Amino acid sequence: MSKVKSFAGGTHPPGNKGLSCGAAVVRLPAPEVVTVPLCQHLGAPSKPVVKPGDEVTKGSVIGEQNGFISLPTHSPVNGKVLRIENVPMPHMRSGPAVVIKTESEDGENVYEPIADWKNTEIPLLVSRIKEAGICGMGGASFPTYVKLSPPPGVKIDTLIINGVECEPYLTADHRLMLEKADDLITGMNILAHVLGVSDPCIGIEVNKPDAIELLEKKGARVVRLKVQYPQGAEKQLIDAAVGRQVPAGALPLNVGVVVQNVGTCVAVADAVCKGMPSIRRITTVSGLGVNKPGNFDVCVGTPVSTLIEAAGGYKEDVKRLIGGGPMMGMALFTDGVPVTKGTSGILAMASKEVRDTAEGPCIKCGKCVDVCPLNLLPCTIATASEYEKWEDAEKAGALNCMACGTCSYVCPSGRYLVHYIKRAQNEVRALIRAREA
Amino acid sequence: MAENRIFDLAVSPHVGSPQKTKRVMWDVVIALIPALIAAFWFFGPKALMLVGASVGAAVLTEWLCLKFMKRPVNFAFDGSAVVTGLLLAYNVPSGVPWWLPVLGSAFAIAVAKQAFGGLGHNIVNPALLGRAFLVASFPVLMTAGWVAPMEWRDGQHIEVQACGVPTGNLSEIGELDALSGATPLNVLKQTFGWEGEPERAEEVRESLFSKESMKNLFMGRIGGCIGETSVIMLLLGALYLVLRGVLELRLPLSYLGSVALFGWLFGGPGWLDGNPLFHLFAGGVILGGFFMITDMVTTPVTKKGRIIFGIGAGLLTMVIRRWGGYPEGCSYSILLMNLCTPLIDRYTKPVSFGEVKKNG
Repeated sequence: MSKVKSFAGGTHPPGNKGLSCGAAVVRLPAPEVVTVPLCQHLGAPSKPVVKPGDEVTKGSVIGEQNGFISLPTHSPVNGKVLRIENVPMPHMRSGPAVVIKTESEDGENVYEPIADWKNTEIPLLVSRIKEAGICGMGGASFPTYVKLSPPPGVKIDTLIINGVECEPYLTADHRLMLEKADDLITGMNILAHVLGVSDPCIGIEVNKPDAIELLEKKGARVVRLKVQYPQGAEKQLIDAAVGRQVPAGALPLNVGVVVQNVGTCVAVADAVCKGMPSIRRITTVSGLGVNKPGNFDVCVGTPVSTLIEAAGGYKEDVKRLIGGGPMMGMALFTDGVPVTKGTSGILAMASKEVRDTAEGPCIKCGKCVDVCPLNLLPCTIATASEYEKWEDAEKAGALNCMACGTCSYVCPSGRYLVHYIKRAQNEVRALIRAREA
Repeated sequence: MAENRIFDLAVSPHVGSPQKTKRVMWDVVIALIPALIAAFWFFGPKALMLVGASVGAAVLTEWLCLKFMKRPVNFAFDGSAVVTGLLLAYNVPSGVPWWLPVLGSAFAIAVAKQAFGGLGHNIVNPALLGRAFLVASFPVLMTAGWVAPMEWRDGQHIEVQACGVPTGNLSEIGELDALSGATPLNVLKQTFGWEGEPERAEEVRESLFSKESMKNLFMGRIGGCIGETSVIMLLLGALYLVLRGVLELRLPLSYLGSVALFGWLFGGPGWLDGNPLFHLFAGGVILGGFFMITDMVTTPVTKKGRIIFGIGAGLLTMVIRRWGGYPEGCSYSILLMNLCTPLIDRYTKPVSFGEVKKNG
């Protein structure tokens, strides 16, 4: 057995994965009306190419790519466009979406499957991944094809597949590794082939021994990782798995590494070998606020309320609804928001699970300093931000923060450190823009 | 679309560690209780009375200050004032009148803590500044109020050996008879110090550093401040804090290590002949090293800074013990280092991830 690796710092919040990790993925039919966001990926939203009243088919393009960091959006169903409007989103305040009345979910592959991908030209594979609208399924939703198109002169020698799933509660990636291991390995091999990497590996936390065993049995190279938040953060994962530190402000490709989520690999295999665009995803519904936590395979555009219903409905006490994990996920003000390609989970949390909102003064205990995976001084940046001293915040390294939330988690005074630091980031960026102008 | 349920919004993260300030403070209070039991055993019920008066004064002063400044008064019950009151009482001799710790606690809370903005904003350790205030204002009471330890024997509280030094060796020394209530560190200072008596050095050294003396120091059967004498009880409390995950060990270990090292270097009559264990067990080093130097507010936030702080405080403690005007230097060393905290933090800012090391 290989050595268990880790990054420096971090913390270990209770995983609470037992609520849903045993529940096999349930495939839900498309709801009567799907609300498909045009901004599911990072970057420019897709430009709508349909209008109300248009008939659309499953997998047809409803929004076209709009720039380099952008992707096309596809209809998950056969049906009729009702309207195009701005709706509340799980990962942002609101954004444009195409509302489609579902008629059926029938339909074969959209593209010609490429069975012999090993002997297919690489640009063809990259363009398939782009056309299929695949973005990072771990949560950040960065367009995958961009990561596969390194600028000239950059040599990629390492591909790490992210199966860490370090956020508490979430089990979607865990179930996906167990139930779609073959597709996962195929997707991984396609990505390795595209990047010219010979020996890709999958990083998994040791709290998923069944997934590690299964994938190793199927011949994948697994890197065992310590259960420590945020082990799955891209730069921390690279540090832990291959011992390379991505410079501050740089990208993984600057150290010759590309990281892709396990869900992304499956989406790549579906697009290349089965000819299907990215219109579905597996997501976890959990928390003590739902009756039957589980994992669901749903089409994008499904409202969160439908997922909650599938998970047995709300219990009496639901204090907060979260899109994503409890550490970095966003609180949702309504369950009317649609699932996107990046929705790794929906949590309905009871009062006793949610942190106390009372905030005390900083007692300079240094706990945040001890745990910060980026070696920052969260308390110093937050205090500078609180007093609106943006230059001080900049000097303290506010822009390096990735908002993982580890500092806020451990803070004995319950301070909203991430919130203060995020605010400082906005102000510091404005300051830099003003300086450059 | 059907009616959608509406929820409250909040920023991430949505979960938090159960270890909150209040819990940490009450854990420290619990950890200080064994030493209180030792104080009762060795110094009698009066020690308990002084501690009670001090804690009461601290909480009341905090409450009054908050009330006066129109701040939420429930801060007075977060446990931090109780800790300050306890620590202040632990730092006075048990022979003092009751109003002394009361005055000290009130000063500690009102001047050292609330005047600077309350919890989290004070510059120096309130309890230690309170003690410094008492030493400066009532030097006779604070340095001569030593009471010889007692023990319950045959249902009676009887006085035992004065300074933890085997009396057989010292009774022949005329001048030292006057020290019947002195502390081992007094004895040390009077013989090894600048104006000491070097001709007795060897004799005193032997008895101070003897096995029996060590045993008395470890158990707490010596003269000293109320809560500082019993090493074993203080270690018991420290162990509790470690088990609860409250104690970050960089400060205590660097401080104790530094005291041991410099104690060996120049803590004896000459060079390189001090007894590190004696210097760890005597005076307030164990109390200071686990309960005072670990005050989060007044010590560096950086990991490297905490180690520098500990080493500096250890060096100062030993310099004061050997050459300073007081027999014990623990509290002043921590106070002086408290003042250096912002500077230490500034110069020990960690290199953030990916900032220097590149392409591993």
